[in-house]
Amino acid sequence: MKLVRLVVLGAVLMAAVAGCPETAAAQQKISVLTWNIPVYKEKIEGWIADFRKIHPDVQVEWLDKKGPEWGPFYQTQLVAGTAPDVIDVQGGLWLEYAANNGLVDLGPFLARDPEVKDYYNPRILPSWNYEGKQYMVPFYISKTLLFYNKTMLKEAGLTRPPQSFEELVDFARQMGKGEKSGFMTLNFDWLYWPLFAMNGVELLSPDGKKAAFNTPSAAKALDTLAKATADGAVNKVSWTGRWVEPNDAFASGTVGMYQAHAPAFFYVRGSGKWISADTLGVAQMPGGFATPNSHGFGISKSSKRPDLAWDFIKVATNEKWGYTFGTTLRNLTGAPRVDTRILEYFQKEDPLAYSVLKTQVENLDKLVGNWRQAKDAQIKEAFYTEIQAALLGRKPAAQALAEAERKVNRILQR
Amino acid sequence: MNVARRWRRQGVIWLLLAPSLAIFFLYRIVPLGWNAVLSVQKWSPLRPAEFAGLYHYEEMLLHDDVFWTSLGNTLVYMASAPIGIALALALALLVNAGLRGRTVYRAIIFVSYPLMTVAVGIIWRWLYDEKLGLINYVLIRLGLVERGIAFLDSFTWAMPAVIVAAIWQIVGFFMIIVLAGLQSIPPNLYEAAAIDGADRGQRFARITVPLLRPSLFLCLVLGIINSFTSFDLIYVMTRGGPNYATELLITYIYRAAFVLSQLDYAAALTVVLFVLLLAVTWAANRATGGEAGAVEAAE
Repeated sequence: MKLVRLVVLGAVLMAAVAGCPETAAAQQKISVLTWNIPVYKEKIEGWIADFRKIHPDVQVEWLDKKGPEWGPFYQTQLVAGTAPDVIDVQGGLWLEYAANNGLVDLGPFLARDPEVKDYYNPRILPSWNYEGKQYMVPFYISKTLLFYNKTMLKEAGLTRPPQSFEELVDFARQMGKGEKSGFMTLNFDWLYWPLFAMNGVELLSPDGKKAAFNTPSAAKALDTLAKATADGAVNKVSWTGRWVEPNDAFASGTVGMYQAHAPAFFYVRGSGKWISADTLGVAQMPGGFATPNSHGFGISKSSKRPDLAWDFIKVATNEKWGYTFGTTLRNLTGAPRVDTRILEYFQKEDPLAYSVLKTQVENLDKLVGNWRQAKDAQIKEAFYTEIQAALLGRKPAAQALAEAERKVNRILQR
Repeated sequence: MNVARRWRRQGVIWLLLAPSLAIFFLYRIVPLGWNAVLSVQKWSPLRPAEFAGLYHYEEMLLHDDVFWTSLGNTLVYMASAPIGIALALALALLVNAGLRGRTVYRAIIFVSYPLMTVAVGIIWRWLYDEKLGLINYVLIRLGLVERGIAFLDSFTWAMPAVIVAAIWQIVGFFMIIVLAGLQSIPPNLYEAAAIDGADRGQRFARITVPLLRPSLFLCLVLGIINSFTSFDLIYVMTRGGPNYATELLITYIYRAAFVLSQLDYAAALTVVLFVLLLAVTWAANRATGGEAGAVEAAE
């Protein structure tokens, strides 16, 4: 009898707990997903502490995932209906979520907080605009630029960085001898696109419904790059490596020019003992073209507390934390007031870093490779697969472009 | 046995089986069924499902070059299993002979198997490294090549390089299976054959190989299953590159689902992989006379 009574009591207690409304603590909780900044833990705890000064009854759960894990994690959370309230996303990954109604339109929040809207750089904010809606605000910004090894340029009798695509390839040939190569680029996302942009190549038609890249100038550019890769002027790692490999190659001091985004500089400087203001030059790519690879903050549509999430974003990107982030992780933030202070700091403390960061807010009208396409990931994969085959000498350029065109059009028609 | 007793006995059997069956149903059958349903739908976490019929299969079979490449690579990878088995057989014969320190050799050969696959991938990436890798160092020192070979970035070398790493990892395990088989062969069979005038080759071909058949077959099945599910080694070493040269069906499924956000298409790919595995298992079962995995019913 005692056992029966215990079982009944347990069942009643369980029913009572299950039947209870959500506890106050559970109601007042938001989660924040960041992209590979575990090193910044201490400062993120500072964001949370500041946020809790405004909302003392709200718990904040912080999650961080490395780049390759971020997408799978977020997707599984979406399927489970437990997507984090606030997300920090890199590059164009946000587009698919925005296009499929997975993110909150931040337009009304910005309209409600005009001083916050004015705080962000008006030339950068549109980077996260899709079909007239603002889905993200800048967390930190980066875009590609050209690093060059002054010693190698000098040894090749060159006195300045290249000003055109032809010069870029020509200079690369002059520097690429033996173990040394003249040029290398990062290839993930669309970071290599300035090479096509400076040849007047467009990816899609103006209405975004058809591939537009299969042109004689694209074929010529691709063919030139393939030949330069085959003879060692362009480092093959450009088309096979992702992040570590090209950075390590440039850090080794055997590559003349390197197209990469600003964060690559800090990685390369860490392992490249040859790097100093005397040996490393910084310039815009010919034509001033650059591909952005910035990080933005957004709010998942499934968030039950978008107002709290917005308040959290405001804290994380405010002047105090923007400046702290910029000076700690050496990035600009997309907020002009803060970026001016960050640049002043680096001009004084680290002039070489200053010269790199300064390029990140120049030529913002020459940003390329940042199309607002919902199927960005699929198009990128279809295009790059074919282009890579041509660049590595597996296919003629014309054939690769024709096949890429067929694949991209098929994706656009689906 | 009276009817009531038989029913009671059946009840106890099913009761004992119930937890396993429930887990099997929840974690195997339900996901498999859901996956099959998903493969005939257009669906993403952010879109309601919509019936698509055989659209994904049509896309896969008629328009997707990567599917065919990854299928071909999977078959090549699978075909490498006999190489590992042959190597394991040779090693097992060696360590089964009266070699001095054979227990040490056994341990050395087996040690690769318990290693985490991710660790194996990282070790081999270093070994294959174009600038710092031991393999290139040896090749250059021997004068076989002038410059290091970028094994994992080469269309020609990437797949063989990954296969070598896969064989290295599993060969110790195969060797133990074959060794167990070798040691279960009664020595008097060899003695009788020797008395009858059979030479070493004849003894190997007529006694060792036939009696090792169950062990070799087990290795073959394990090798084939391993080739279908070898995700981690490829992911760590090449991520399917360069240009899909090492993309297997299993890595392509992951890419479709989590890189390209095509979970519905990935479900269709998974169905194809499942059918392939089913076919291989059926063929394997047929090859053993349809008795693989069968057990005698207890009275």
